[in-house]
Amino acid sequence: MKSWLVYLPILLPLLGAALGLLVRKYHRLQVGLTVVFILAALVCSLGMLYTVATTGQPVVFQLGAWPAPAGITLIGDYLSALMVVMSQIVLAAGILYATGCRDKCVHYPAFYPLFLTLATGLTGALLTGDLFNLFVFAELMVISGAVLTAVSDDRFGVEAAYKYFYISLLASMFLLLGCGALYAAYGTLNMADLGVQIAANPEHPLSGLALVFLLAFFMVKSAVVPFHFWQPDFHTAAPTPVHAVLSSVVVKLGVYGFIRMTTLLFPTRAPEINLLLVVLGCFGVLLGGLGATGTYDAKRMLAYSTLGQIGFILVGIGWGSPVALAAALVYAFNHSLIKSAMLMLAGAIASRAPVKSAAFKVVVGVGKSSPYAGVLFFLGGIALAGLPPTNGFISKLVLFQSGLQAQAYIPLIVIASASIITFIYIIRSFMKIWWEALPISKKTKPTGDLLIVPTILIGLCLALGVWAQPLVKLAQDTAAWLGQPMLYIQAVLGG
Amino acid sequence: MNLLSAIFIGIMFGVGIFQMLRRNVIRSAIGLIILANAINLFLFTTGAYQGAVAAYSGLTGQISDPLPQALVLTAIIISMGGFSFVLGMLYIISVRYKTSDSDQIKGLKY
Repeated sequence: MKSWLVYLPILLPLLGAALGLLVRKYHRLQVGLTVVFILAALVCSLGMLYTVATTGQPVVFQLGAWPAPAGITLIGDYLSALMVVMSQIVLAAGILYATGCRDKCVHYPAFYPLFLTLATGLTGALLTGDLFNLFVFAELMVISGAVLTAVSDDRFGVEAAYKYFYISLLASMFLLLGCGALYAAYGTLNMADLGVQIAANPEHPLSGLALVFLLAFFMVKSAVVPFHFWQPDFHTAAPTPVHAVLSSVVVKLGVYGFIRMTTLLFPTRAPEINLLLVVLGCFGVLLGGLGATGTYDAKRMLAYSTLGQIGFILVGIGWGSPVALAAALVYAFNHSLIKSAMLMLAGAIASRAPVKSAAFKVVVGVGKSSPYAGVLFFLGGIALAGLPPTNGFISKLVLFQSGLQAQAYIPLIVIASASIITFIYIIRSFMKIWWEALPISKKTKPTGDLLIVPTILIGLCLALGVWAQPLVKLAQDTAAWLGQPMLYIQAVLGG
Repeated sequence: MNLLSAIFIGIMFGVGIFQMLRRNVIRSAIGLIILANAINLFLFTTGAYQGAVAAYSGLTGQISDPLPQALVLTAIIISMGGFSFVLGMLYIISVRYKTSDSDQIKGLKY
């Protein structure tokens, strides 16, 4: 088996970070190395997805050749491979955007190495088959993200990073507590083995405790409604390339966790978890939409919008049928592309504003100097609102179809009305930035961040909107795979 | 021994959570440290008292479970790194605002 495909996406960014720190005196060399390593990791993860999709078998690697329940397993199954490809696309886009970015913080010597450790943490957390290893990788991801925000050009970067890091450290403690409870109850931390043991003895008193702590961890990670309070502040203060990554793929770690919990770890308790996810998802959709409509800053608006879009995905997971799971995966993939492109466009406009800020009172009329960015923002906006011919339309279509199949009419009404709210806030920001005249007293800067990367991402959005068949097929295969946890367990434990 | 450690971990949890909810940001950071240590201790006790002899030491007797010990080592190191970063950020914040009262630190509030 081509097991190198599963550890190279983790190892390459880590190696790139180490080499990047060694050559920190030579900024251009460091940038070049970073781009090469992240693109190589992207190619490896694409290869992994291709292998998984063609053979139908996961790629498994036992670290140090220790057999499964004792050692640490890395496993790229359909779900992990799809999520890793999604993350690596956005991470590569973020790094490429940073190379053309005008922020001062991208010249900070540890900026690119930290970006690569963020990539390592996220990829590792998605690929690992061991709960404690997930904690380690998630912690790596959290600390890299927090440092990247703390060095931001924004004045309040340190405070936002403190807020995020405090909450995330607490969430990681919850995960550790959950690990301890599961280990005390079942004597293993391997997720496949845990699946077997929990299915054999689902009523152990500590399993409920572990379930609650794991849910809390993943909810903090993906900013589900009662745990979302850190998210708008933190994401607004982050530098644009980091914000694009944090707000689109880092929050998807929680989505991955929920899918793993309902299909592999706690399938017997899936109905309760699913009900919780639907209710919280509906609240998130409404709160995110209303928050985005009422806010005063373009980047903050998109951060609130992430809150709403995560809600859509949670509702899809909560409906729980294979069709709904496939819809949630399509939605997650498409949302990553759209949201990162939109954030990069908002950041590019902020970089042209007289003062470096994305607040509406600063960027009003600034878009006049860059009509091309306006076209891209409009296309991204209709993708976010879910109109054809973009991939946002496809994801909303499959999600609503699965809702009709599940006959869940109340959540359907809620998310349909929230889609209209999405359209309202996108049009509001578009009119503020591109339609209103520039105040006479203000002058825009002649140049800003380069628009190449957002162009590519919006192009991908349009391409996936017109030619959606491969992605939807892949998501359906993934959902079918998730319906058979025995195959995952066999692949990890052997036999 | 089990009962004693359970009571002690419970007390540490209580103190940690109480300190976390204080208004002073430095106290709340210290509360996080106490809570983390309580959790590390909990993780340690999940396997600590099944045997009296360390694994791979060659001594005779019932061997204690080495996995929680390895996990706790990793968790301690990670939490140490995290706390040094927390304290570094707190230093910047307290220099900027000349206070450690979390009600006065409201740059993010508009």
